[in-house]
Amino acid sequence: MSDKKLATGGRRTIAVAIAVLIIAFPLGYSIAGYLFAPGDPDGPPFLERPDPKYDSCVRETVFMRYHHWELLRSVREEVVRYGKRGDVGLSKCRDCHTSRERFCDKCHHATSLTPDCFDCHYYP
Amino acid sequence: MKVAGGTVLAGSSCAYAVRFLIASGAHGAGVDDISARKWGMVVDLSQCPADCTACLDACREENNVAYHGDPRYDIHWIRKVRLEDESGTEGMGKSVVLLCNHCENPPCAQVCPVQATYKRDDGIVIVDHHRCIGCRYCMIACPYNARQFNFKDNEDWPNKDHPRRSHGVAEACNLCAHRLDEGLLPACVEACRNAGAGALTVGDMNDPDSDISRLIAGSAVKRLKEDLGTEPKVFYIGL
Amino acid sequence: MDIKFDSIDGNSTAYRLAMASLAVAALAGLGATWYVIEKGLWVTGMTNRVPWGLQIVMAVYYIGLSAGSLVISGLYGVFGKQEYKPFARIAVYVAMLFLIAGLLSILTDQGRMDRVFVEPFVYFNLQSMFSINPILYIGHILICVVYLWALFTERRRLTRVVATTAFGWAFCVHSGTGAIFGFGARVLYESPLLPASFVAAAMASGTALMILVIVGLFRVTKRHVDDRLVLWLGRFLAVCILVVVYFLMVENAYRAYVVELREAAMYYLFGGFHSVLFWGGLMLIGCFIPMFILFYRRTGKKIRWVVIASCLVILGVLCERYVIVLPGLTHPAELFPGLTITESVIEEGIASYSISFLEVLQALGVLGIIGFLFGWGLKYLKLLPDEARYFRPSA
Repeated sequence: MSDKKLATGGRRTIAVAIAVLIIAFPLGYSIAGYLFAPGDPDGPPFLERPDPKYDSCVRETVFMRYHHWELLRSVREEVVRYGKRGDVGLSKCRDCHTSRERFCDKCHHATSLTPDCFDCHYYP
Repeated sequence: MKVAGGTVLAGSSCAYAVRFLIASGAHGAGVDDISARKWGMVVDLSQCPADCTACLDACREENNVAYHGDPRYDIHWIRKVRLEDESGTEGMGKSVVLLCNHCENPPCAQVCPVQATYKRDDGIVIVDHHRCIGCRYCMIACPYNARQFNFKDNEDWPNKDHPRRSHGVAEACNLCAHRLDEGLLPACVEACRNAGAGALTVGDMNDPDSDISRLIAGSAVKRLKEDLGTEPKVFYIGL
Repeated sequence: MDIKFDSIDGNSTAYRLAMASLAVAALAGLGATWYVIEKGLWVTGMTNRVPWGLQIVMAVYYIGLSAGSLVISGLYGVFGKQEYKPFARIAVYVAMLFLIAGLLSILTDQGRMDRVFVEPFVYFNLQSMFSINPILYIGHILICVVYLWALFTERRRLTRVVATTAFGWAFCVHSGTGAIFGFGARVLYESPLLPASFVAAAMASGTALMILVIVGLFRVTKRHVDDRLVLWLGRFLAVCILVVVYFLMVENAYRAYVVELREAAMYYLFGGFHSVLFWGGLMLIGCFIPMFILFYRRTGKKIRWVVIASCLVILGVLCERYVIVLPGLTHPAELFPGLTITESVIEEGIASYSISFLEVLQALGVLGIIGFLFGWGLKYLKLLPDEARYFRPSA
């Protein structure tokens, strides 16, 4: 009697363990990527200063650090769907931030993100 | 267990809700900029030399249109076909330029499940490649075979100032909307002019004084498959 | 009338072998899908002229097969035939699984699978059948979940309500699937009869599937099922096939009769590989032989022959799905009536498409997944009644 209980109990544990592994795997992978990402040995990523071509920046640094993707997405909707082209766009970013490797990729690698924007939009 | 499930459900529905709210309302003011215009094209076949490929090459280069050398998978935003009548008499054929007709009632935009293909306020039927899920229903709906799908990835990138398409999205001519928005002519029109033929004209159909309005009013223009009711905006002279 | 529901032990070698082979099939399908994702969709044999292939055929086929629950739940919930209640749980579970299979087939066919989970539900376009249909499919899955819950917790009135809802919703699901093709676009698609014809074929294939599942399960688990229940389903299947044949004949007669569609109709009936599937697979194997078997007195009253007829119907409806999807795409859309295109950079005229091994693997993979889920359900959910008896309920 107790043997049968043990058998089902053991199987249940294994099933729960596998479920936890599957659910936790994406999170764990990201964390591992962040921990083991090849970054600058002295701390947070150092982003290359922009080479200013315009009078002012698109938005402040703090805003861009936390919201640049939302800005890009809303700009994309405006440009593609409504033809409202303005001052913001990936090609315009290139004017001041001239290198993807020394700017965009620094944070993206550090946070192990691979945005697929660069599959289609050229950024040197 | 129930709490965890409930949290996941609540979290994911919040994500959907936010996207939905953003999608359903908010496009900003000032979009009437483009709705004042209605872009159309006139193709004068009598000016189009049979072996000239200026527009085809210019379009491919400007828009990074994929070419694999295989007629099954190549993308052609604009293409030429040779037509003969059924008697097959020599010299009676003509070559016709075919492209997306930017219909007023686009069947492709009607059937796109995510509104990735849609008609912009200025009449251009355009694909939002960020949203396309690659279901290919628009290709089936288009009666003109004007749309193709990126079955493979595209290695070439001739025009780095303009994005290319990734695999898995459908595409068609967008009348070089990015050039029209900046006051330039589409690549094919410019190339045709530079080649000396001037067979292609793109203009604002809402403006009665534009070249295209005068051409449409003054010549015997025909559109493809007018009986379907799609109201194409590409007019042919000499078809 | 009290029926006890139970699950199977699932300890037999046969069960374990079946589950293992289903898992292998599922993995093979996943591998094939991975290969297609890596290389690009061109490896499936689809081209710019034929952008839909076997995956869409299987998707609409699986969705049609889910109509079996429509029949059973209609009989039990709407028409009050209590003797079909024992099958209700299995029927609804199988229907839910086949809807999931249909959705999986569509999912693996999309060019950008990473976007399919968000975009269609945030940006839906009610003018597009491809947007309405996922709402219908997912709604039907949810209705099936509620239905199963009502059945498992023996809530009679809720079961009645949900059964009626499921019955009506299922009609919308299958009509909607037919409308993907029937509402315009290609000469060989456009037809107001397609939604109705889809419902008919779905009910035929669904009933056939139900017969096979019921007879198979009850025999394998050594449970008693009264022959008369299955034979009644067999007669119902015969009527469904009649309706299918009727719709097919009307549609093809229309296309052959009307002058402007005649060329397309001749292509459909005699113009290619699909014609072999139409006449041989659909009409002969899928309709006429089963109808003969089921209507003929000597065979229609024997379970073995009803089972054979059901197998043939299931094969025939698969052929029907193929000839709904593919000829419409391979047939050229005529741009210049009266003129021929002699030189072109794309495939003109009749396009070619052949089923690729990868697509077959993907289809088997989907079947493997839902078969595995079905086996899992048999073991861990109480799906099987202890017996199914024929009786006339007292007034």
